[in-house]
Formats: sequence, structure tokens, C-alpha cells
Amino acid sequence: MKITYPHMGNQIFYKKLVEAFGHEAIEPPTPTQRTIDLGVKYSPEFACFPYKILMGTYIEGLENGADTIVTSGGSGPCRAGLYYEIHKKTLENLGYNPEIIVFDDFGRSPQTFIDNFKKIKGKTSWCKAFRIIHQTYILAQSADNIQKRMEILRAYEVEKGSFNKAFNEIMEDFDKNGTSISRIKECEKRGMEKLNNIKVEMPAKKDRIKVGIVGEIYVVMENSVNMNIAEVLNLLGCEVSRSLYISDWIDHSVTPKIFKKKSGQYLLDNCKQYLDIQIGGHECHNMGNIIDYKQQGYDGIVHLMPFACLPELVTQTLIPRISADYDIPILSLSLDEQTGIANNQTRIEAFVDLLKKNKGE
Amino acid sequence: MKIGLPSGLLNEYYKSFWKHYFEYLGIEVVFSQETNKTILDEGVRRNVAEICAPIKIYTGHVVELMRQGVDYVYVPRFVSIEEREAFCPKFMALPNMIETMVPELKGKIVTHNIVAKSDDIATEENFLEVGRKFCKNDEQIREAISFARNKWIEFRGLCVEEKYNCDQANTAVIKNRLSKLKNYPVKIGVIGYVYNVYDSLISMNIIKKLNELGVGAVTFEMLDESQIKKQAHHLERQLFWSFSNKITASAYHFFEDKEISGVIHVTAFGCGPDSFLGKILELDTNKYDKPFMTIRVDEHTGENHLQTRIEAFVDMILQKQMECCV
Repeated sequence: MKITYPHMGNQIFYKKLVEAFGHEAIEPPTPTQRTIDLGVKYSPEFACFPYKILMGTYIEGLENGADTIVTSGGSGPCRAGLYYEIHKKTLENLGYNPEIIVFDDFGRSPQTFIDNFKKIKGKTSWCKAFRIIHQTYILAQSADNIQKRMEILRAYEVEKGSFNKAFNEIMEDFDKNGTSISRIKECEKRGMEKLNNIKVEMPAKKDRIKVGIVGEIYVVMENSVNMNIAEVLNLLGCEVSRSLYISDWIDHSVTPKIFKKKSGQYLLDNCKQYLDIQIGGHECHNMGNIIDYKQQGYDGIVHLMPFACLPELVTQTLIPRISADYDIPILSLSLDEQTGIANNQTRIEAFVDLLKKNKGE
Repeated sequence: MKIGLPSGLLNEYYKSFWKHYFEYLGIEVVFSQETNKTILDEGVRRNVAEICAPIKIYTGHVVELMRQGVDYVYVPRFVSIEEREAFCPKFMALPNMIETMVPELKGKIVTHNIVAKSDDIATEENFLEVGRKFCKNDEQIREAISFARNKWIEFRGLCVEEKYNCDQANTAVIKNRLSKLKNYPVKIGVIGYVYNVYDSLISMNIIKKLNELGVGAVTFEMLDESQIKKQAHHLERQLFWSFSNKITASAYHFFEDKEISGVIHVTAFGCGPDSFLGKILELDTNKYDKPFMTIRVDEHTGENHLQTRIEAFVDMILQKQMECCV
């Protein structure tokens, strides 16, 4: 099969996974203005931004020769779980006829999950299939560790662009040499050393400004649609941590409940005082994370959401209370195809100025 | 003791139940007045800018009730009324949002989770606990639930059997005033949530406007559960939101029904579920030879604009029928 998939966050993990099962990966191009234009053209006006980007990404993937789309579903009530149904209808209407394989939560319909998995698995034995999945999961974790480290250090880089260059080299290394778990670990170690050897000017611990990014998963992870927010903040001299990386997402969305680590539970407990029910997105994790970042000594939070995102609108509504109760500045930005970079750049700069001033006092 | 029921969101669908339930428990029930500019402005002021108009209006109604000096405001949390389905996240977080947006109301919000197997929400699990706040006698609460449930069933019966719309059926059940239904030769399906179609400010009385043009309006409440379930096969996967499913099903029903000449979808700015179901209907309407129009409204919509579009739509349908007859 020639498989394409959504472009979300660090791409290396998807490609490796698809190729390990013996399929051809039609790598989706990084979303560009053309992707957005295509997506907007064929999407309902009020669909959320990730829906539109995926629409464009799928069309570009199909243009490049893909015949199968692999994507995730969900149990709602966030709209993301229904994306594929409407994507499918729209693509058919446009004359494409791809097979769409959707992975829902295991619990929703175990049989469908297994059937879908068999389609991807092909002739690979179950034993090998699990090994492949485990290995790519380790790869995702390692790549995320590198990214997390980079988004802290890049704030203090001396030679502009040195971290981005190193990061790309490390990812290439993963791609080429990450063929077994031990090799992946070696790559990670090499990568870390490489990052640590880049020249930085690190201020005293008390003067370092730390910003946490929370929000809707797609816009938090996908740099090409969030105006590269991590880098923008880094360039303004802030360390950045995101609340969600691909490996976290695998932890709490894909892994069946029986294997699920209880790691996120304290975030939900944090959030209880503001919202005592989960409403289908990452809203509880986000609010929990805001509080958690504050307790870890972060100076400010940037909250990202696609325009009119249902669960995040709830977060946005509750944010003023959290901000007041915990005394932490929060900047909420909503993104869509109308987003003007200059406008948001100004808001982010003003926000960082405020954080710096807070720090000075 | 006075309890206020905001005239927004699902109130139109359930007010016959809520009103009789609380009154049976000996509490005076106050409804907020029809949506007006003041209510809307209050809601707009307190909400984040990009949230949908119905939530803004609901917030406005809550504030309006508070100004009237009620002791409590009833803000239920709809979680699910169908297995494996839920409500829009904003419904599920409603009490928390109201708490944040109307902080003056602290301690005055009466809320509970509503979880049911169908749109008949009158179960002990849902309404026993909340009744205990006002009444010490469990037996009386049970009586209140069953008394109010009968009223609601009467309301549904009027909608399904007599083809009353929500407004008329509520007047009949609550005020004991039956409406005289006129038989219109041309009927149009008006699909949309009760809080859009029956809100005089959002839909600008679209049903009345159609009637004035000599056209009858058929709505989703007039279908019974089996007619709705029959249409489920159109979607490979049902939507997550129960009322959205009802509306989608009723749209397909209207598409197939020969008596109905066209379908108008009334939706509010920023409605997430509607953005998807609208697209599905838009793509599928090509299969049926039936005119379909979407009217999207918000707090800025001008009435003349709406009037023109409705007139044009009706003219087109009437002209089509005249051509058929010649």
C-alpha cells in the first residue's frame, strides 16, 4: 500500500512505522499556504483549523500517489473523531477514492481496531508487529526528548540557527541509524551530546524565563500551523515546554486502557476544581498542566487553540479564573487560516515583555 | 422560594417538564423573558468573543434572572441522552462556564448531570438528588417526576401526532391554550436546534415569516423516535451529538418526503456540530431533487437580509411548482 497520514509534529515516527510494515510511505509535505488554501476551499467554513489542514494534506498526499490514508478517530464529543467521515465524503466528491483506515480508541470497538491493524500489518507476524510498534514508540520518545532539550537550550543560542541545524542532523541520524532499540538509544545519546556542545549563553538560574505551551493537540504539536511558536519564544529568550508531544499522545490516546500509565491522573485532579467532567478534548489536561507549570515555577503560559474549537473554548472561558487564582499570566491565541503572523508576533512580544518585567520585580 | 429557568438552549424542549417538576415541589418557577437586545449584549460582554451565539444568549438569560432576584438559577449539565452519544462540549461544561462568567451567582446555581437512554430524561437517577435540595420527602419527589413526565409526554404527543411546533405545544401544555393549526398547501422543512429556531432574536421568527408567505414549516420535533432511527443508515458513523443526529435524520426524512418542497437549515455562527452536519447535508442534497438553504445567524445579522433570502427561497419553490402544474 502507498500510505499517507496527517502531518502532526515530528514526522520521523510515522514514516518509520509505515515502512517497518513494508508499505511505501508517501510523506505528507509540511503544510504550506497551498495546503491551507486547498483545505479551506473544500472544507465547511466553520470546521476547525486542523480539519482544514488535514483536508489539504490528504489532497496533497493523494496527488503524490498515495492510495491509502491512515488516521485516528475518537469517541467525541470533540469534532476530531468525525473528521474522516466528512473527509471521505468530500474526497469522493472530488473524485479521489482512497481507502481510509481509522484507528479509534481500542475500547470503542476492539474488533474494528484489530481488523484495521491486520490491514496495516499484512503478512508481518504478530510478534514482529508488536516489536515494531514498541520500537517506533521508543523512537518517538527519544526524538521527543531531543526536541524537549532543544526547546530549552535554543533560547540561549549564540550563533543563530545552530540548534535548528543540529536538530535536523540528529533526526537524519535517527532516520538512518535508528534500526533497533539499542541503536535508537545510541542516537539519542549522540544527539544529546551534540546539543550540549553547542555554544550558549546561559543566564543565572533565577533570571531564566520559562513558558509553557498548552492547548489543542494539533496546533500545539504542528509547528507549521502555530507560527513556529516554540522558536518564536526561544528567539525572545524564553525556555519552552509543550504540554503535549507525540509520545504523550500515544500514551493516553492510542495505548489501550489496560496498559495505560496513570501518569496523567494528577493533571485531571488539578483540574477538578474548575471542570469536574471530561468533555472530549484535552481541556482537563490543559487546565491541569497550567496549574502544574505554575507549581514547577514557570513564568507564563501560552494557550493555543484553533478558531471555534469546542473543548478549548471551554478552557478559554475558564482561563481568567485559573489565571487569577494561581497568579500566572496566560496568553490565549486562536489560530486559523486568517491568522496574521505580525499581529500574533506583537502580542507574543508584549507578553514576553510582561513576563520579563514580572521577573525584574 | 423562586427558581429561575433561563429561556435558552434546551429550555424550549424541556420546559414543560422542568416547570411542572419544580412547581410540584412547591417552588415558584420564573422564566427569563424572550431574548432581547439587553440580554444578548450582556451575554456578549461576558463571553469570549468567538463562542457561539446560543451560549452568549444563555448567559444573558442567566444574568437577567439574577437581576429579577430569583433565589436559584437552574443550569443543568446535559451529558448524554443516547448510548455512546454525548452533547456538545459546551453543554457538558455549562455549569462551570456559567460559574466563571457570572461569578455573582456563586452558590445560587442548581445543577445536576443529565444522563439518559433517550430524550425522555425524567428518571430518578437524574432528578431525585436535585429535588432533595428543596424537598425532604423522597416520595413527593418521585411523584413530581412522574407528574412532570406526563406533562412532557403530552408535549411530545402534541408535536408528533398533532404536528404542533415546540412553541405551540408548550403553550398548550403550560398555558392550556390550544392553537388552531392552519393547513398550508406548501410545506418547507425547517431544521435547526430548538434554541435557534424558536429564539425570536436568532431566527427572527422564521416560522412566522414563512407562514406569512403562505408556507407551512415542518420541524424535527414532529417526527417520532422510530422515524428518526430509520434514517440512521445515511451515516457510516453517527454524529456524537444527539440533537444533531435528530436534525440530520429529520433532514433526510424531509428530503425523502414528497409533501415537503424544500429544506432550510437554521444555524448559529460558530456552531461546531452544525459545521459538520451542514457539510454532510450539502453533499448529500445533490442526490435528492430538493432545494436546500443554510441560514447562519449571529448577533450582527440584519433582519432585511434574512427576509430577502427567505422570500427568494419561497418564490423559487412556488415558481417551480407552478411550472410543474402547467
